[in-house]
Amino acid sequence: MIEVDGTLKSRLAFWLLATVSVLGVLLLVEAYFSSQRAAERAYDSQLEAAALTIAEAIRWEGGQPVVEIPSAALQILATRHQERVFYAVLDAKGQTVSGNLDIGIPPEWRRRVSSQPTWLNDTYHGTQWRLYGRELDSAGWETQDPVQIWVGHTMSGRDALTEMLFEQAVTRFVIMVLLAGILMLLAMRVALAPIRRLRQQLRRRDADDMRPLDARVPEEMREMAETLDSLFMRQRDGREALLRFTADASHQLKTPLAGLQTTSELALQSDSPDAWRQALTEVHGSAGRTSRLASQLLSLARLRHAVEASATARIDAMALLHETTFDWAQRDVSQAHDIGLASLPASPQYIQGEAWALRELLGNLIDNALRYTPPGSVITLGAVCHAQTLELYIEDDGPGVPPETLAHLHRPFERGGRQDTEGSGLGLAIVDSIVRRHEARMQVESAQKNGLKIRLFFPYLTQHEEK
Amino acid sequence: MRLLVIEDDPLIARSLEQALTPLGNTVDVFTHHAQAREALQSGQFDLVLLDLGLPDGNGLTLLAELRQRGDTTPVLILTARDGIDDRVEGLDLGADDYLAKPFSLAELEARVRALLRRSQQRVDNRLTFGPLAFDAASGVATLDEQVLDLPRRELRLLEGLLLHAGSITPRETLENRLFGFGDVGSNALEVYISRLRKRLDGSGLRIRTFRGLGYRLEEASP
Repeated sequence: MIEVDGTLKSRLAFWLLATVSVLGVLLLVEAYFSSQRAAERAYDSQLEAAALTIAEAIRWEGGQPVVEIPSAALQILATRHQERVFYAVLDAKGQTVSGNLDIGIPPEWRRRVSSQPTWLNDTYHGTQWRLYGRELDSAGWETQDPVQIWVGHTMSGRDALTEMLFEQAVTRFVIMVLLAGILMLLAMRVALAPIRRLRQQLRRRDADDMRPLDARVPEEMREMAETLDSLFMRQRDGREALLRFTADASHQLKTPLAGLQTTSELALQSDSPDAWRQALTEVHGSAGRTSRLASQLLSLARLRHAVEASATARIDAMALLHETTFDWAQRDVSQAHDIGLASLPASPQYIQGEAWALRELLGNLIDNALRYTPPGSVITLGAVCHAQTLELYIEDDGPGVPPETLAHLHRPFERGGRQDTEGSGLGLAIVDSIVRRHEARMQVESAQKNGLKIRLFFPYLTQHEEK
Repeated sequence: MRLLVIEDDPLIARSLEQALTPLGNTVDVFTHHAQAREALQSGQFDLVLLDLGLPDGNGLTLLAELRQRGDTTPVLILTARDGIDDRVEGLDLGADDYLAKPFSLAELEARVRALLRRSQQRVDNRLTFGPLAFDAASGVATLDEQVLDLPRRELRLLEGLLLHAGSITPRETLENRLFGFGDVGSNALEVYISRLRKRLDGSGLRIRTFRGLGYRLEEASP
């Protein structure tokens, strides 16, 4: 079951985007503040220049400072942003010598300015102002009274400059992100190219092409490519086994069909009702055997090549044994034999398994016993509880099997050296497959007197599995 | 007895018809789901032989419809599918028996006879097998029209065997019938069986033992 969980591209893009966003926010915050600082520096030096220009225009008349504000100073103050400007020249007592607005300069500011030139922010009539004050050193003149020059303007020029600088920074950043994004897309294409190549190669493959992969892959994909290769190898093996099996099966089916054909052909050429009767009897028998062979081949193929095991369940082996034996004892084919059940353990014995497969298993064992023993033979099924395993067994008092053949009775088309029976040689092969599926063990041995005993050892259902 | 055969393979349908008609039966053969459904709705049948794989639908739906209508006509399922799941599903839906293709006609005839007998017994409340008969209402057993004077337990044993005549009666069923659910000795039942065997001696019927499984009342083969 393949569940598509996003794409590699979107994952990479997401993480890169997240990184860029976090860094971008930090960068933009930093850009804003540095724009602000730059604007402040630029305009503060203008204020300073304006103050100096005014200072140079101060004259002394009769011990009193007189000033004619030079237009150059006002031009410096007034930026092209329609700003309101402020200037004031104060004498030592704090009286305004010249000024355009009545922004009161508190004594505390004056004290600060007397020690060093100072920049201040102030609110006047609801507007933000930037003020600059400096004291004019009057050394060398008649009086020692210092004069303070205050200049200021509103903030719109600064704000505009900050905005412009910030906009430039943002533009640079966006262009960089776009470029990085394009490069990133290209990089992803290049990095993911091996996956794309592998995909195309797999897609072009023929359904029955099981050769190993021929592709250049980066180290990260080596394991996946190797897994694919081993999958191909298993499929190849499986297919070869299937082909072998099909060839065997087809051979096995052809033989009785050829018999049917020749028998019926001969009968058609004959005029004698006796010959027809004889031929029909043969045809009838052979048809029965052939259809049984076909169904056995089908179960064997299904058992061997089942891709996924069907659901297993907790099964009472005693009930299953009883039910299957009961079913077979009723059948027409069993009437010449004495099929019976030895006394079973009284309590249910649970194993983990597939009920249909276990019925098939017991059915094949009984069917085999019926076919390979003469009429009147005694066939007994039973169960024994061992410490670790549950044993199911079937024994008969037929002619038995030579000891040297016992070991490979379970091979397909093996008839224990017997050609006189109607058996297909597939029964024990089916049993063997089912036994393997259930992690059980099969033991074929000679029964006490003569005849054959087949014992199957199943693991008990453990407490853990029972939950 | 009227039999309905629903089977799409003409060869099999013809052999079924030929094999079943001599049993004293009228056999109607339909090859399609739709026709068979109509026939089942209009007519009264004693037994339905149902092939599961029909060209225009699954036989199991037909069976389910039949049982939903409360129709208890015995149904014998025939199918080439050997999956146990189908078999279980068919029996769950109310089929009475199940036969996988290929089957021998002898086997089919035996099953049909057993089903017809069961369906007949339901009607007249009388169990018969060959010369043997048991009237469940009066509790009288007869052999060749002669009343068999049997003790109570032998009578119950005979009834038990007759109920399943032709097939194996499980040992446990007979033990419960004779002795209740208490614990009984392993050969207690065998004692009554051998007494009954003596009574049936020479009647053309016999009781066959299936070791560990049960007993079957059957016609003694010559």
